[in-house]
Amino acid sequence: MKEMLAAFAAVAVLAVPATAVPAVGRSAPNFKLADANGKPVMLSDFRGRTVVLEWNNPGCPFVQKHYESGNMQKAQAAAARDGAVWLSINSGAPGKQGHMSGAEAKAFVAKAGARPTAYLLDPRGVVGKAYEAKTTPHMYIINKAGTLVYAGGIDDKPTRNASDINGARNHVLAALAEMKAGKGVSVATSRPYGCAVKYGDS
Amino acid sequence: MAASRGVLWHWIAAVLAALLLHAAASAQFPQPGKNAISASLIAETPEVAPGGSVTLALVMRPAKGWHGYWKNPGDSGIETQITWELPYGLTAGPIQYPVPGRLIVGGLMNYVYEGEYAQLIDVKVPADVAPGTALPLRATVDYLACTDEVCVPETAKVAVDLRAGVPGRATPSDTTFDRFRQALPKPLGSEGRFERAGNRFRLAVPLPAGVELAEPYFFPLTDGALAYAAGQTFSRSGDALIVETDAPSNATSIDTVEGVLKLSDGNGLWLKAVPGSVPAAGTAPATEGKQSSALRPAVLVALLGALLGGLLLNVMPCVFPILSLKALSLAKSGGDERTARREAIAYTAGAVLICLALGAILLGLRAGGSAAGWAFQLQDPRVILVLLLLVTGIALNLAGLFELPALDVGGKLARRSGSQGAFWTGALAAFVATPCTGPFMGAALGAALVLPTAAALAIFAGLGLGLALPFLALGFIPALRRRLPEPGPWMARLRRILSIPMFLTALALAWILGRQAGVNGMALGLAAATVLALALWWVGHRQGQLSSWLPLAPAALAAAAALILLPLAANPPATTSARTALASEPFTEARLAQLQDERRPVFVYFTADWCVTCKVNEKGALERAQVAEAFATRKVAVLVGDWTRGDAAIGRFLEKHGRSGVPLYLYYAPGQPAEILPQVLTPSRLVSMVS
Repeated sequence: MKEMLAAFAAVAVLAVPATAVPAVGRSAPNFKLADANGKPVMLSDFRGRTVVLEWNNPGCPFVQKHYESGNMQKAQAAAARDGAVWLSINSGAPGKQGHMSGAEAKAFVAKAGARPTAYLLDPRGVVGKAYEAKTTPHMYIINKAGTLVYAGGIDDKPTRNASDINGARNHVLAALAEMKAGKGVSVATSRPYGCAVKYGDS
Repeated sequence: MAASRGVLWHWIAAVLAALLLHAAASAQFPQPGKNAISASLIAETPEVAPGGSVTLALVMRPAKGWHGYWKNPGDSGIETQITWELPYGLTAGPIQYPVPGRLIVGGLMNYVYEGEYAQLIDVKVPADVAPGTALPLRATVDYLACTDEVCVPETAKVAVDLRAGVPGRATPSDTTFDRFRQALPKPLGSEGRFERAGNRFRLAVPLPAGVELAEPYFFPLTDGALAYAAGQTFSRSGDALIVETDAPSNATSIDTVEGVLKLSDGNGLWLKAVPGSVPAAGTAPATEGKQSSALRPAVLVALLGALLGGLLLNVMPCVFPILSLKALSLAKSGGDERTARREAIAYTAGAVLICLALGAILLGLRAGGSAAGWAFQLQDPRVILVLLLLVTGIALNLAGLFELPALDVGGKLARRSGSQGAFWTGALAAFVATPCTGPFMGAALGAALVLPTAAALAIFAGLGLGLALPFLALGFIPALRRRLPEPGPWMARLRRILSIPMFLTALALAWILGRQAGVNGMALGLAAATVLALALWWVGHRQGQLSSWLPLAPAALAAAAALILLPLAANPPATTSARTALASEPFTEARLAQLQDERRPVFVYFTADWCVTCKVNEKGALERAQVAEAFATRKVAVLVGDWTRGDAAIGRFLEKHGRSGVPLYLYYAPGQPAEILPQVLTPSRLVSMVS
């Protein structure tokens, strides 16, 4: 209970600097969100490390495609091996599909065997809108200098069939590998696909 | 203890949440085994000829509150995927999507269909399929069904059984596919231009200025060109519709932008745009009958042209004498500032009003469906006759045969009939000027005809104002007036000389009358003119007496008789030959077949209000007098198909001729197959085609 209260309190004091649009090649806007344990997490906490942002909604069939197949967990593990931070963000508004409390989020992470560094709750959609996150999943990569280097879909097969994962180019894994090799990200943007982020109607 | 309590809370919360989620979901989801959007496949014809093709419709019926997606779903969603199982080497074409709608949920744009919709697919049958072969078509369709809250990827197995054979002609009662086709966007045919200015996306679509718009929207097919959820503003700059909206934040370089421009509900145009300069935003388009108050640059140019044209008219043989006499009478009124101004304004009012009236009648005829052109009033031989008599009268007056109060140089009545006389002189000048307008003003007035009513009328008014300008200047600038020579006996001489161009004008009118109404008509007109001349001579003799105008009565009678007799005297072929617009009737295949059976040459053309090329061809070639003349001589029947609203019968006809849109120009010489003309027409091409 205390955790949930804390989570809500943290959410209530959220702040995202209004630094305009999250364009690839520019510095990624900082933000502060409560994680599933109610602990505030700031993007700037991870300066010096590569950060992957994943917009998540466990109720979305496209998110399920990548979790039930283990594809997302594999990517999280790969990122962790490279020392990258993985932040799953849920921008579902209360009452909408996929909205979760901290406890629910922890249950989801545990059940799915997911390995994010943190699962962040954004019920007012402030961070989602600041990053113009449109779908679940919608993926972003921020490099060690805090620059946004990738924004788009998880791969290039915009379908719901898990069988399409094999043979698809996983843009996130490819970008992480290129960054590790000291190269530029060859596919810096792609079209995200999936369900709409369930923002509130405000 | 505290720790275990925390665990307990987790448990309860998780279970509760799971229950709630499940409850919420089951309330919204359709029954198991039933899709939220049901899909079925139907074929336009049950039989298809080997080597031919058949159109299939994937009919989607969303349950209440659900929607399906366009090819470009917007910020989220996916397009429909069809996996075909086709026998005997049949091939399926791409999915043709109807014009979608918009749905914004939580600030994200969705391009959707909320009611029943049909996606069309053309299936080709190889030529080597034996007639009578059963053709079972099977497909698996994957698509996304969403409400405002949830999305469900759905799969449907669809099937339709066809048979190879002779395709039955589409039965007239079957309008289902006509309805489906009408919902598809029509290809615009002309390329658009787009540019990115900062974080703005700007697009120019060639679209005639007169096309009506109701809640226009540009649905981009190309991803990454523009921000979907951003508002779009529309404005017009001449024959271009300018769309402005935000570019997406992660814009990539794009070489073409494809999309569908929705003009109004269910009416969309498919177009492609390439990088290029986009004109500055013009005026807001007139939507839903609302006229824009501001004038756009194109209108200003046309207005200027009209003004200059009007000014030029002053030196025309038909106008110059009237103007110069009026100027002289003004000079005579000497230093009286107020009279001069009053007369100048009255003259201007007369000229502008007559031009406006002619313009209004012309636009009215156009709106009523008549193919009228400028100087349309000259198409009626009776109007020519009236003009002939009028001009003859003026010429005789100038020659000194008699005196007329309004045009009286030295008359006693000049003072009394001051402003009224000036008004009618202006009106007369404008009316008499129209025969001279054609060659000089064709282009400007042609532009006026495709503009919104208010703008078109402004151009007609500009013509009148230009005509009145010299006189207006004389009235308001005393210095100019002072430069006019002193009145004297030379004025009478000048008047006699000025009668010469007036007589020449009468001669020209007599010639036109002859062209229109034949030799008999011309003789009738000249006879009426002679009677008038005799009557006026008599008037001149009795000038100054109270009943001096009495002799005009028999002349009026003669003129009236001529007016009545003229249509009888006219020989029809000559009458049509002077028309500037082609006489046409609406296109139907039945009418075409009938005309061909009659062994008439037939010219068929297909046009649409939103098609710039069509309008250019109509103004620049089809409505030229020499074309009308050539067509009339050869008795070429003209059929016009209007595809503005995407009429299905016309659509099929276009398709049969390998065109997906307008314009299409066809010429059927008797007993010959159709000749397809180029998309850009010239008058000489049309004339040589029929001769």
